[in-house]
Amino acid sequence: MRKMIIVLTAVMVLSGLVLAATYTSLSPRIEANRVAALNASLASIFADQVADVADLEFEELDTDGPTVYRGSAGDGALLGYAVRVQTQGYGGTITMLAGVAPDLETILGIEVVEQIETPGLGGNITNESFKQQFEGLSTREPIEYVKNIEPSKADNEIQAISGATITTKAIVNGTNSTLDRAIEIIRRQVQ
Amino acid sequence: MADTATANRSITTEFMKGIVRDNPVFVQVLGMCPTLAVTTSVANGIGMGLATTFVLLFSTVIASMLKNIVPNQVRIPVYAVVIATFVTIADLVLKAFFPPLSASLGPYVPLIVVNCIIMGRVEAFATRNSPGPSIIDALGMGAGFTVSLMVLGAVREILGNGALLGIQLFGEGFTPMLVMILPRERSSRSVFSWQSSTR
Repeated sequence: MRKMIIVLTAVMVLSGLVLAATYTSLSPRIEANRVAALNASLASIFADQVADVADLEFEELDTDGPTVYRGSAGDGALLGYAVRVQTQGYGGTITMLAGVAPDLETILGIEVVEQIETPGLGGNITNESFKQQFEGLSTREPIEYVKNIEPSKADNEIQAISGATITTKAIVNGTNSTLDRAIEIIRRQVQ
Repeated sequence: MADTATANRSITTEFMKGIVRDNPVFVQVLGMCPTLAVTTSVANGIGMGLATTFVLLFSTVIASMLKNIVPNQVRIPVYAVVIATFVTIADLVLKAFFPPLSASLGPYVPLIVVNCIIMGRVEAFATRNSPGPSIIDALGMGAGFTVSLMVLGAVREILGNGALLGIQLFGEGFTPMLVMILPRERSSRSVFSWQSSTR
């Protein structure tokens, strides 16, 4: 009886120590990976506005709602805002960024930071051809998705991924609602 | 000389049994959840197979070293803690050094904890053998699991995506069979709903 308790306790304590040591030594690296992934996504939203991606600077705004990053060029010129959108996809939470131009009316593009959607179906949201559809859409009206017909930019439409309507819907709805809130916050802060 | 020869042969036999005769996936039909869930591509199969082999190797070694110390009543809790420890280490290492792989394997890395191949080998082999043979057994079973996942991943990636290791194999004319890469619950759910609707 006593041996049972001693052995189980000893194993648990040892396991705790080993895990604490591993976590402490690896967590800076894990955090760095997360930051690097976020920075790469932020950079690709504003990349076509600058000659050199290294010139881009990002600053997180202090908001009480969605996370917003202010993107500027090396000379301080405002390039736009990137809003962090989290939405529930088919496989789990999708974390993405939606970029808006300084006028807050035009979408610069979207970038997927983290997703665990089905590879080959919902996973296709990371494809350039899907992401590019958002470039130039308006924030004044909600984005809509269409199936089987050609989407029209004038009507703020994108083509849904075939076989992944849940994922498409999650991205569109998440972007619409988060952008609405974020734009209001940015307007308030800028004025 | 004759002794070494027998020992060598038995090491090979011990190792090979995990790949062919007692293959964990195709013969023992163990670990079906990760097998079905992550084999949508070869890369995922390799990643999952290696992560499981790592956990299997260290868990069986520790279990075989502890087999005379651990009282029978707390055997399972002790091994569960040992396995969970190595799974957490594997998860952290993947997150730190292979972030894309870690992202695509998603929740299935932490779920190695409940992979029955590991508890199975710990219970069936490591607790009855010394660390040496346990290492060979774990490596063999791990290799068998990895190879099985690679084979399934290759079939599903080629048919479902027209690619192998992410490289497109066919031209525009190839229509991928999406059903091949439909994952986990959705594919089984659609099969069951089809059964109930045709009944």
